[in-house]
Amino acid sequence: MRGFGSQFLLQMKLFIRQKDELFWNLAFPLFFIVLYGLIYRDIIWDDFGMRAIEYMLPGIIVMAVMVNGIMSSATSFVEERGKGIYRRLSLTPVKRQTIIGAQILHRYIIILIQTIILLAIGILAFDISIKGNYFYFWIILTLGAVCFLSIGFALASIIRSVRSATPLCMIVFFVFLFLGGIFFPNSIMPRFLVVIANGLPSTHMGDALRAVIIDGLGLGSVWIALAAMGAWIVISLAVSIIFFRWE
Amino acid sequence: METILEIKDLTKRYGDLVAVNNISFSIEKGEIFGLLGPNGAGKTTTVEMIEGLRKPDSGRIKICGIDALAQPAKIKGLIGAQLQSTTIYDQVSIREVIDLFGSYYDNSVPTQELLELVSLTEKKDAYYRTLSGGQKQRVAMALALVNDPAVLFLDEPTTGLDPQARRNVWGIITDLRDSGKTIILTTHYMEEAEKLCKRVGIIDQGNIIALDRPAALIAGTGLDSTIEFSSDDIRAEDVFKDIFDSGTSFERDSNRYIISSKDSSGILKKLTQAADENNIEIENISVRKATLEDVFLKLTGKKLRE
Repeated sequence: MRGFGSQFLLQMKLFIRQKDELFWNLAFPLFFIVLYGLIYRDIIWDDFGMRAIEYMLPGIIVMAVMVNGIMSSATSFVEERGKGIYRRLSLTPVKRQTIIGAQILHRYIIILIQTIILLAIGILAFDISIKGNYFYFWIILTLGAVCFLSIGFALASIIRSVRSATPLCMIVFFVFLFLGGIFFPNSIMPRFLVVIANGLPSTHMGDALRAVIIDGLGLGSVWIALAAMGAWIVISLAVSIIFFRWE
Repeated sequence: METILEIKDLTKRYGDLVAVNNISFSIEKGEIFGLLGPNGAGKTTTVEMIEGLRKPDSGRIKICGIDALAQPAKIKGLIGAQLQSTTIYDQVSIREVIDLFGSYYDNSVPTQELLELVSLTEKKDAYYRTLSGGQKQRVAMALALVNDPAVLFLDEPTTGLDPQARRNVWGIITDLRDSGKTIILTTHYMEEAEKLCKRVGIIDQGNIIALDRPAALIAGTGLDSTIEFSSDDIRAEDVFKDIFDSGTSFERDSNRYIISSKDSSGILKKLTQAADENNIEIENISVRKATLEDVFLKLTGKKLRE
């Protein structure tokens, strides 16, 4: 694992120095939680038995994980590959698993930081009461992070050119966002869309987070959501293994 | 002399195209060896096979006595390479990127030393993307030297650089040679090959068509000098026909006339005389010794940069 630490530090430095990364990963989700918090602060959705903002906080956490996993990691990988950085690294003894490992750890740390900030704002500014178990919450968050990072790598493997990376990742991101029950419950959507929405990883991660932290349920009651995320991980890794290219 | 690199019958095909055709050569410790040829001749394919970036279809590569194809991991510690286009992370300083590459090796040269070697000490905190082409090329050289390699590969190190930046890079390369490094250089600049290389392999369409010291290659063609001049007078070619024929070869490129001959002073005398008598204006006359460019022209019938 020679080079792991230095590669990890480099990724963190790059993250802090790139304004678009900082914006999309930190400011963008923050903007949503504050905006929705101000709009929906006192609104209660009786049908779902919770405050609107309580519904949205887990959704915005899912959105933040998706920005990181799908948008940032996939596009930056395609860009670095396009520049020939991985080709240059392949001349050195550093192992490719080391490079990928450092990138995954870096993304995971950013996801943890994002989530802590969003949770803290929800609790402190908008009085969201967390009933559930933080350990369960962490398990679901980690599974979701692995899930969306895998999807990001699958996308990076399929996408050929640097130019098409951002638009293609955007499309996937927005489909997952709007059909994933992030801002409104899927049950208000037309029947045929619900069928699609119920297959998306964003729907399942949001449902699982909500069940655990807002409703205070255990992991057993969200096993379907966890299994669905697991299935997405398996499919994405399979796609990555088949189509992955370093050059 | 100790042989440090040995290439035998190396071949690479892409479909029907034979990019590198059965080439063999060996390189001695401490020399700068040049692969000279036009774009697409197979220079980069050859060095990238030696570096382990591409798999040859057949052939053998031995570096410091180690079979490079059988033990690629071992070779990575022994070689350093600057690729034709190196791009690294944009928003990372030079010092950071050299440190990073150093961290990949068991033993690495101190960053400060490398910065001095490529004269970038003052720029050490600048981001890579803010550098000029020449500075980026020097960073690429520093990265290639980070493991103190036994063999250094420089693939077109001065392509696209202005004359000043090119001379800077040449200075670094000769310093490296003087410090005992073995260097393989690819280039399509004959001047560069002539100036830097102890031996040059001329490569065309995947074949090494000549291999020797630059001076020996030039002497071997039997060409002593080339006389060049330009004239806008349309009668020039007819009037000077006999003079052109008395040389060993003649070539016309719109208004530019190029004559090769062993007897440059005789040709020059006849030329000026004929020009005076027929009142033909001739300009930009130059007489130069034959170069590798001429050798290439003679061997292939083409110019290097066509």
